[in-house]
Amino acid sequence: MNNNYQIAVDHDGKSIWKFLISELKPKGKFFTLFNIISLPIMLLGLGLIVIRFIYGIGSITNLTQETPWGLWIGFDVVTGVAFAGGAYVLTFMVYILNVHKYHSIVRVTVLNGFLAYVFYAGALLLDLGRPWHVVNPIIGNSFGVSSVLFLVAWHFLLYMIAQLIEFSPAIAEWLGAKRAHKILSGMTIAAVIFGITLSTLHQSGLGALYLMAKDKIHPLWYSEFIPIMFFVSSVFAGLSMVIFEGSISHKVFFSQISEKNHHAQNNIIRGLAKICAGTMFAYFFLKLLVFIHGQNWDLLNTPMGYWFLLEMLGFVFLPMTLFFYSYRTNNTTLIKVAAILTMLGVILNRLNVTVIGFRWDAAVHYIPSWMELVVTLAVIFTEIWIFRWVINRMPVLRDSPSWVNENK
Amino acid sequence: MDGFSYSDIFATKGIEYLVIIAFLALLIPFWIVLNKQSKMTRQIQSTLGVLSAKILRIPQGLFYGKNHTWMYMEKTGAAKVGLDDLLLHLTGKIKFRYLKPPGETINKGDLLAEIDQEGKLLRIFSPVSGKILDTNSLLNDSNGMLNDDPYGKGWIYKIKPSNWIEEANTCYFAEDATNWSAKELERFKDFLARTMKDYTPETAMIIMQDGGELLDHSLSALPDEIWKDFQNEFLNPDQL
Amino acid sequence: MGLDRRVFFKLLGATGITLAIGKETAAKPTDKSEVEFFGILYDSTRCLGCRTCEYECAAAHGLPEPPAEIEAVRTTNETCNTVVNTFQTSKGEVYVKRQCMHCNEPACGAACLTQAMHKNETGPVTWNGDKCMGCRYCMVSCPFDMPKFEFHSANPKIQKCDMCFDRQKAGEKPTCVTNCPNDALLYGKRRDLIKEARRRIYEKPDLYVDHIYGERDAGGTGWLYLSPVPFEELGMNTQLQQSSYPALTKGFLYSVPTVFVMLPTLLLGIHQATKNNNPKEENEDEQ
Repeated sequence: MNNNYQIAVDHDGKSIWKFLISELKPKGKFFTLFNIISLPIMLLGLGLIVIRFIYGIGSITNLTQETPWGLWIGFDVVTGVAFAGGAYVLTFMVYILNVHKYHSIVRVTVLNGFLAYVFYAGALLLDLGRPWHVVNPIIGNSFGVSSVLFLVAWHFLLYMIAQLIEFSPAIAEWLGAKRAHKILSGMTIAAVIFGITLSTLHQSGLGALYLMAKDKIHPLWYSEFIPIMFFVSSVFAGLSMVIFEGSISHKVFFSQISEKNHHAQNNIIRGLAKICAGTMFAYFFLKLLVFIHGQNWDLLNTPMGYWFLLEMLGFVFLPMTLFFYSYRTNNTTLIKVAAILTMLGVILNRLNVTVIGFRWDAAVHYIPSWMELVVTLAVIFTEIWIFRWVINRMPVLRDSPSWVNENK
Repeated sequence: MDGFSYSDIFATKGIEYLVIIAFLALLIPFWIVLNKQSKMTRQIQSTLGVLSAKILRIPQGLFYGKNHTWMYMEKTGAAKVGLDDLLLHLTGKIKFRYLKPPGETINKGDLLAEIDQEGKLLRIFSPVSGKILDTNSLLNDSNGMLNDDPYGKGWIYKIKPSNWIEEANTCYFAEDATNWSAKELERFKDFLARTMKDYTPETAMIIMQDGGELLDHSLSALPDEIWKDFQNEFLNPDQL
Repeated sequence: MGLDRRVFFKLLGATGITLAIGKETAAKPTDKSEVEFFGILYDSTRCLGCRTCEYECAAAHGLPEPPAEIEAVRTTNETCNTVVNTFQTSKGEVYVKRQCMHCNEPACGAACLTQAMHKNETGPVTWNGDKCMGCRYCMVSCPFDMPKFEFHSANPKIQKCDMCFDRQKAGEKPTCVTNCPNDALLYGKRRDLIKEARRRIYEKPDLYVDHIYGERDAGGTGWLYLSPVPFEELGMNTQLQQSSYPALTKGFLYSVPTVFVMLPTLLLGIHQATKNNNPKEENEDEQ
């Protein structure tokens, strides 16, 4: 009975503080290729952020009065969140539909999703003019309930909490906190349902942000259905990211994954490919419907029209057929290629709505500065560093400790 | 909106969000209470498994009487008699209230033994005629041996049969026995459905799982009246 | 199982009905105020292009003095609330003053998640620096591109015309109106201004184009325009929708509570229904 109250009892009797400090030390080689590339960029990014806070956003970005949102919003926030959609799709399949096939990758996907939201919401703070006022819509100083952004901001906050709860059993296993583990595992289904609801609303909400910019976004990309489009595309964007990131993690963290999970990997990727193919099929026809509804066919014969066709045919239709074909022929490599194409397509689509198609007719076209790119990369690399730290210490890819099954 | 004075098209949004928060907060206890079973049924259910035809043990070399007794002719010429697995799965743990003593002669259809569970009685009638050679002394001392091993250590009587061939012929054997046992299980479920309709849903939950599967030791949770009905329908000496 | 499904559908039905009723009552605007909007009528035919309004506005708001010599068509920016542009049109040189239109249902006001952009009861749309977090969503939403952001400041503010709200509270007229030498600007209740505008068009049909810009554009704006030439020739966007921009997000925002109620219930139901689907699979996993 006493065991329940002693955490860290598994760690040779070391106290919890010593354990945490020892976990902070780096494991493995320090001078890997990835580290050598990412560390200077992260430091440079840090420096640029300091400059941004002293001299204002304009000092390191190319934003103008006509294009107030650029790479940081269009890519970091909008696209990044779309890619984190794998978390809600997978938890839906595993916990709601009880498809146990994907159980082994749920944890790593939820971890990825959680980190993505934390870092992209964090990056958002860099883009705010007065970030210290970000507490205003949270603490009730002023609730702008008429705003879609209010909804999106709150959902981000709540979703991060839900994902943390979903992931917390892994943290409890790492710390050896058995009682906490039991309580947190019981909360999983509630957190999952809450998370899926929130995800549905904020994936579409990110699209709804642009609804009022009716005259400013190119007609081929603006419609009242942007929220639905964003939601549907977040499904296959998230799953493609799962395939992509899963393949990389599988190689890098090979030693941690159990035999059983190794063999299951191809089966899982195949299953995800099938779901992507189906969703993209529906998405393609949705886009077609919206296109017809908008009656903009004469715009197809313009440069922007060609760009639109490139996005639709090259980066939606093509990867869809690739997924379809590679699923049928069980060609894992082709699935990964299709996933990368899909991801590029989603990036393209989001940037088209938020940056390229937004004020496409402005006198001065917005092109991100190299400094914006560096900061974006620094954020991404920091996220990967934290991801690696967690994977190496907590039972995410590894199997859970044995006491978990007794706990049930 | 006439365009000349202030009107807020989002006036109720704040209240709506509060209603949503209230809904979600209430949904959790609502769902939990909806799905809650009483503590007792949960306890009972958690200790029992599911009773299905697949788990019944029916050794093929035995003869099975219609009242769920079995007999087996040993090399010595004595017939061992006992209760079959299905009956024991239905009743659960039982004690022997009355056992015919060795030395007595018995005819087919005579009272052979009385089994008891907390005052609920079932009468076992003999599938065979002959002289009782021995009774199993371990029966009432053991703890669940009868249910664990009804065909081996759980034998009840050793009888020297006087009319073996004719009486064994009226019993089920091998494959027929297996089929008959499965049918008996279904017949028991029907029996329950008929008699249970007068009882509360609570009691139904004790013997049935969520999916409608019969739970083990179903009779043990049911009252005496149902045991009497069970006696008439399944353990009737006239069927033998 | 039967019990669960029945209750589940009952719950769905009840919520659906409640929301349908609730939606009805929410659709009607509540609390119509008795106070009426004020606005400004700008008559381009009376404008001399002297740009006194620009200088007075800058002085009143502590902004740098506008340049003396101007060439190109200008827009407002983070140091300039209003500009007067010159256009060579079919009827000669025409001037047009541009600034925030103070829409009846401002997109910036609906967009602002901290209520920093606020439509006051009397009409002006003002910016509150204590609440603003500089997210620039108002800039994205405004169909006139009027809010301007101080990109090169560590404590940036949003700059735009505020219809001299402080002066109005003190019972005075906005600076530009007071200082216009030729009565090109008229300040009053929006209702009265529209009547006056119609009167001017009626009395001099050859002088004016028969259209009041801002009467219905973007759902109606506080700033109304009269012009001798079609408004496109003055660089003004006549393709704007004639209904309010916030109404475009109304559909989405009102579906949010619906989804919040239906989706968790639906998910709970599916979870319950599929719970017993794969009891065998778990055993296979463990082997």
